[in-house]
Amino acid sequence: MSRATLTTACAAMLRRDLTLAWRRRGDIAMPVLYALIVTMLFPFALGPEDTLLQRIAGGVVLVTVLLAMLLALDAMFASDIEDGSLEQLVLAPQPLALMLGMKILAHWVTIALPLIVISPLMAALLHLPASVIPVLLLALLLATPLLSLLGAVLVALTVGTRRSGMLLALMLLPLCVPAVIFAAGAVAAAQQGLPWLAPISWLAAALVLAVVLAPLACAAALRIALDS
Amino acid sequence: MANWVPLWLHRLSSPPTFYRFAGMLQPWAMTLALLLGAIALYGGLVLAPADYQQGDAYRIIFIHVPSAWMSMFIYAVMGVASFIALVWRIKLAEVVAMESAPIGAAFTFITLVTGSLWGKPMWGTWWTWDARLTSELVLLFLFLGVIGLYRAFEDRRQGARAAAFLAIIGIINVPIVHFSVNWWNTLHQGSTVNVFGKSTMSWDMLWPLLTMTLATKFYYAASLFRRARTDLLSLEGGKDWVRQIAQDEDAR
Amino acid sequence: MTAVRTVVPLLEARAVSFQRQDEPVFAPLDFRLHEGELALVEGDNGSGKTTLLRMLAGLLHLGAGDLLWRGEALQRDLCAGDILFLGHQLGLKADLSPRENLRVATGLHGTREGMDSASLLAEIGLRGYEDEPVRRLSAGQKKRAALARLAMLPATLWLLDEPYANLDRAGIALVNDMLERHTNGGGAAMVTSHGTVSFHGGEPRRIRMHG
Repeated sequence: MSRATLTTACAAMLRRDLTLAWRRRGDIAMPVLYALIVTMLFPFALGPEDTLLQRIAGGVVLVTVLLAMLLALDAMFASDIEDGSLEQLVLAPQPLALMLGMKILAHWVTIALPLIVISPLMAALLHLPASVIPVLLLALLLATPLLSLLGAVLVALTVGTRRSGMLLALMLLPLCVPAVIFAAGAVAAAQQGLPWLAPISWLAAALVLAVVLAPLACAAALRIALDS
Repeated sequence: MANWVPLWLHRLSSPPTFYRFAGMLQPWAMTLALLLGAIALYGGLVLAPADYQQGDAYRIIFIHVPSAWMSMFIYAVMGVASFIALVWRIKLAEVVAMESAPIGAAFTFITLVTGSLWGKPMWGTWWTWDARLTSELVLLFLFLGVIGLYRAFEDRRQGARAAAFLAIIGIINVPIVHFSVNWWNTLHQGSTVNVFGKSTMSWDMLWPLLTMTLATKFYYAASLFRRARTDLLSLEGGKDWVRQIAQDEDAR
Repeated sequence: MTAVRTVVPLLEARAVSFQRQDEPVFAPLDFRLHEGELALVEGDNGSGKTTLLRMLAGLLHLGAGDLLWRGEALQRDLCAGDILFLGHQLGLKADLSPRENLRVATGLHGTREGMDSASLLAEIGLRGYEDEPVRRLSAGQKKRAALARLAMLPATLWLLDEPYANLDRAGIALVNDMLERHTNGGGAAMVTSHGTVSFHGGEPRRIRMHG
């Protein structure tokens, strides 16, 4: 008889979720398409004036990515609840917070990473100067995992409810205000030629905190939500 | 200290005891709230002198400031009750936390509305993205989130536990939002509005303000007692003490 | 039965009950389950069989009373992985094959001694379906895939909620076989069923539930 070690368990979770995402890779394209379409609508709504688009580009890309992530957030635990595999995960002899951390990581890789990859294109559609794009990418690399982590806690809380989509937005938006402010602030600062390291550092600090705390909170929320 | 305090708390937190206790206090709290509110309004709107800068427009602070304090006070109460509910699974704490949320949301809403009414003549705008205003708005969303999450569950106790968890997350969030908006304003050089400045208030203005603050506290207590009583009756529907009350009502 | 009967029961319930919205779901229960024992949880629909199993598994909190695991108060850390639960939802990912589902389970739990997934899946009646997505299997085959998880993982106590549902005659025999092998190996099981069940190894313990 051999008990599972922590590393094999983490690997099994990660592999499972990535395989599942790959089997439904059509779904991965959806948030990306959504983000592209929303970005394209801005020039139509505001007019193709370069300076105006340039000014709003960073913020638009960030908010669009946030909304695209919000759209996909609902599905983080949905199928696992439906088929009972979340129950099995809760009962497995592994630290639940760590396993959920793996799930969040897989979710980030499948949802946020494609959005980050496409973000230079979105920025280019709005004429964001090429020199700012590295800062935008850095801000997204720090802000999107933060959103995934915060979102996971809230999704875990709504697990026992029906019609959680709008509720999720209502709960997530106040929580993500700081992340949006710092990420967009870094991009805006870079665009104005100001130092952008401070907001990036704040984002990084928040991310470190969230990486440690969010999986624990997520596990606690999930136990509450399943206990009915 | 003697251990009568926790014992007393424990007995008070049993639903029938609290039901009777709250029923006794509720009319008194409501009367006091109305009385103090009337006195404060008279003092604020009639007796207090007009401000030398703002004229009569400043008088909205007698509603605005106590509401703002209450919105935060009620969130704090909700947070503490949520913590107790999650850790000790005390039903009364769940009830207090969940029934505080709508009252808190109402006070937050009043704060925002009176604030923007005040802002229009003072700053020339209904709304500015100042740290204090934004935090208050976020507070409203948090209250609404707690209410929404609570209502989304079929099992009310489970909903209360989930919403209590959200309330605690929100407590961590509000200072972070305040700080980040402050930082954001320095970047954007937006209009940072100093509401009170360093000036000290004259006693003529201060006493109506403090009286109104007291009135809102009593109103909160009265409203909470009333809501909690209704809630306890429906939550404990099958229990003997509720049946007893129903029989007494019938006999009357 | 060759199982060693230890004095301390594997699982002991003392006046255990559960309330939902302050309504008791079932009357207080007392029972003891030793290693090598099989208990049949009986009761009508709505008598709380599923609730009891979910509570024993640790998904629901203990309503009232005491639960002892090997003589100590039951805690998650104490028995994690030693208790397996099979509910109405089978816990299989529809997009993964039975083999992949097993691999996930063994990754989380470890493997029972001398088990390998290929021969187990063949033995359990899924030969030729090992790499088919679970989505394409019949209800009975899905159940078999879920049963394979039980046999594959190291655990002492099985909590099976309606394991016979959706199974044909051969499938029912398979469940009984698995239960017999498990209890003979020193394991224990609690099984809910509202149908009549005949076990090979003599009469099982019966726990009667009243709503």
